[in-house]
Amino acid sequence: MILLAVNDLKCQYHTDGHTVNAVDGVSFNIEPGEILGIVGESGSGKTTIAISIMRLLADSASVSGTVFFDGTDLALLPETELDKIRWKEIAIVFQNSLEVLNPVMTIADQVIEPMIRHGMVSVNEARARCADLFLLVGLDEAWMDVYPHQLSGGMRQRALLAMALACNPRLLILDEVTSALDAFTRKEIRDLLVDLQKTRGYSMIVISHDITFVSSLASRLLVLYAGRVVEAGLTRDILNGPRHPYTRGLVHATPDIFIYKDLWGIPGDSPVGDRHKGCPFNSRCTQSIDICRKNPPLLQPCGESREIACHRGGIAMLLKAEDLRFSYQLPDGKALHAVNGVNIEVYEGEVLSIVGQTGSGKSTLAHILAGIINPDKGSVRFMNGNVQGGTMGDHFKGVQIVFQDPFSSTSNRFTVLDAVREPLDINRIGSPEERLNMAREALELVRLPSTGMFLKKYCGELSGGQRQRVALARAVVMQPKLLIADEITSALDVSTAANVMRLLKGLQNRRGFAMISISHDLTLTLKIADRIAVLNDGKIVETGNAHDVMLTPSDEYTKRLVGSRIGLCCHEHTNGEHDFLRDESQHYPGDANV
Amino acid sequence: MNGNDRNTLIYRFVITLLVILAINFFLPRMMPGDPFSTLSSDIEGEDVIIMTEEQRQYFIHYYGMDLPLHEQFFLYLANMAKGDFGQSIYYKLPVTRVILLHLPWTILIVLSATAMSTIIGIIIGTISARNRKKGSDRFMMAGLIAFAEIPSFLLGIILLLIFSVQFRLFPLAGAITPFAHYTSLLDQVWDIAHHAFLPIITLSLAQLTGVYLLTRNTLITVSTKDYIRTAVAKGIGEKTVWTRHALRNALLPVVTRTGFMIGLMMGGAVLVETVFSYPGIGLTLRSAVVNRDYALIQGILLIVAVAILLCNLVVDRVYRQLDPRVTE
Ligand SMILES: Nc1ncnc2c1ncn2[C@@H]1O[C@H](COP(=O)(O)OP(=O)(O)OP(=O)(O)O)[C@@H](O)[C@H]1O
Ligand code: SF4
Repeated sequence: MILLAVNDLKCQYHTDGHTVNAVDGVSFNIEPGEILGIVGESGSGKTTIAISIMRLLADSASVSGTVFFDGTDLALLPETELDKIRWKEIAIVFQNSLEVLNPVMTIADQVIEPMIRHGMVSVNEARARCADLFLLVGLDEAWMDVYPHQLSGGMRQRALLAMALACNPRLLILDEVTSALDAFTRKEIRDLLVDLQKTRGYSMIVISHDITFVSSLASRLLVLYAGRVVEAGLTRDILNGPRHPYTRGLVHATPDIFIYKDLWGIPGDSPVGDRHKGCPFNSRCTQSIDICRKNPPLLQPCGESREIACHRGGIAMLLKAEDLRFSYQLPDGKALHAVNGVNIEVYEGEVLSIVGQTGSGKSTLAHILAGIINPDKGSVRFMNGNVQGGTMGDHFKGVQIVFQDPFSSTSNRFTVLDAVREPLDINRIGSPEERLNMAREALELVRLPSTGMFLKKYCGELSGGQRQRVALARAVVMQPKLLIADEITSALDVSTAANVMRLLKGLQNRRGFAMISISHDLTLTLKIADRIAVLNDGKIVETGNAHDVMLTPSDEYTKRLVGSRIGLCCHEHTNGEHDFLRDESQHYPGDANV
Repeated sequence: MNGNDRNTLIYRFVITLLVILAINFFLPRMMPGDPFSTLSSDIEGEDVIIMTEEQRQYFIHYYGMDLPLHEQFFLYLANMAKGDFGQSIYYKLPVTRVILLHLPWTILIVLSATAMSTIIGIIIGTISARNRKKGSDRFMMAGLIAFAEIPSFLLGIILLLIFSVQFRLFPLAGAITPFAHYTSLLDQVWDIAHHAFLPIITLSLAQLTGVYLLTRNTLITVSTKDYIRTAVAKGIGEKTVWTRHALRNALLPVVTRTGFMIGLMMGGAVLVETVFSYPGIGLTLRSAVVNRDYALIQGILLIVAVAILLCNLVVDRVYRQLDPRVTE
């Protein structure tokens, strides 16, 4: 049975001459008692969906599509019939603002008004029922006869909730109910909502930009971007393995989910409502292809109860390594299995950190992945081409590697300019003038001077930090799709290391390349990693979302590794708050082969 | 309102009153001429002496006008404090009596006109706002704005010519039929209403467009507010939304305006009363000015000023009643 069925809903606002497509073809169903979450950033059309369900849009807006409530098409109902459904069947808790309640009417009057209109109670009983509602939402009766401006934000939110519950609706829409509240009140309201929903059993649509809040209530999520649904599925699945590049950006930018990581938002702004020919996310997407600019992707099923709108079927795989093996011949004739059957996958635009002790085979693995050494067995495929033979680094959009020791990659006798330009020279890319410009740009990107004196300096004259940046510039100048950073900070002091790491993450975020960061420094790794793979004795013993691996390591070795961090004595590394993110299967697409 | 607030309010009121008294005193004396030598611009360059110099000096002394100006001022203040407004030189009656004789007529037409223009303005403003951008709204708007451009005395003359001169529906002048014997109270009321009708209409028409536009525009602004959307969502019906939620909020600025309007109308009454020869305070003021009847001018201006102050006070009160946000 379906309570609400929204089909191909489109809303446009017409304001002096131009049209804003606030909602662009959204469909979803809600069953009785279900809680559906809609997330998306400000301006993505969330509120417009909410108010168009109740047909509250201004006259300047046009709507198409159908909204069936309990089998009735709301669009066909005359106003008078609609008024019988409004609030009695579908009620809404509006985005909290001072203006959302009538400033010249008391709270009680406003709560009572719909009850009497819909014939719920007689005028005499109304006050008593209003007091009950106040009790229910945790608001003192004393506040019944005050005016809206006399309430605090949290109290007003409760009053709005009491008002919404006045007629026992079957569907409750919550629009950004907590965005104006402090963390404490937010939690109270959340708990209240959960309790009320459990006892009363109504369906809910929870709308917010706050993915943590929505996820803590809803069993199913719609991710909205520029008026379109880009990803839909069960909350748990989406949080643990976002598949659309936008969803991933959203999840990764949420401090409640990635508590250790530094915050890096999705670069760029969302297009506001104009007609986009192709995929609306195109301008911010790291894996966009030609068709993305031409046709909008349709929402298509992909796996069980999951839908994605992306021409590439979601985040694409960039590199896939299968059963890699490599051993060194020791002098005593024995073989040291440095890499011993490694399977690894790297996705577009992500940061994968490979951590492990010294001697665990990290650098060897990095060299194999970069195509510098060939594995004894197994294959590495990069964008469906073979990495072996080392040809992935000699053109744009390929694989680049930056080494631990900047002195080995940049010869003392090279000037800064020569060092940065060398890859272009060797691979004969562009005219001499273009090469110079590209080299300069690359230096600017790594925040080094790109003019005069500095270009002519010899690498031997540079500090360790500067030299590591030059090495980075050398890699960036080739505009890689995948950058492998092999212990690039280990030779640097703490402060320089932090700066280089931030720089690298910043570059990665802005330019959208994928990165494999190899490090033994767990703390630094956590600041930048989306995913972590733990390497021990040439084998990957654990992979997963960075926070999962770190908060709840499952492998013994990982536990030891995590435990070996020298923390301050007062540090506690457990946190009960995030249980809802961690239940059951926590696997990222493609992690099956760990 | 707490005691402190009340004190500042009274304080402000007293200061305003003093300023008005001062202006009131000095302004008429800055006009050329005095009550005893009528300087009439109708007769070019010629003073028409209607009394001998001796008589003139006698009167000037009699009315205390030979004293130094500041002494006159303090005397004036002292008399005011006693409630003595002085003697009207022209009417040869106490100023208070003259005012009491004429003020009720002005109050009658000004209050009626205020009520009429406010009520009608709100009603058609609401109709217009509800039909926003439709034909009826555009038509009403264009019509009323064009109408507002006509000066009220011209409008008065036109109404007088059409309804009194042409159709003889209304009397040409006065507030009551002279020497009439009323058979009943109803008869008397009817006679008064009959006389007051055209002046009231003229005064209200002059104010109507203002009220109409303010109501319409405020309503349109209010109708885009979030609480209106909340009200619609509650399914309480369009009519309730407009009356209980939208109009109630839109009335706030209209109420304020009505207060100012009463003051404005007192001024407008001078012209309108002249056109209709309506014996109100405006007509009296006009003759007082022509005759340099200082005491009377002062008295009338003071009454008008106090009336305006009182109106503002009342508006303030009403506003507090209507808008709970200003009570703090
Ligand atoms: N009344 C309106 N007239 C014109 N454009 C509008 C109107 N209301 C919203 N829009 C536009 O439609 C788009 C979607 O707005 P909507 O309010 O639905 O977004 P939202 O996701 O709810 O954002 P927020 O959380 O900030 O309210 C925005 O680009 C907004 O500028
Ligand atoms: S790959 Fe193309 S369709 Fe998919 S999100 Fe990126 S731009 Fe949109």
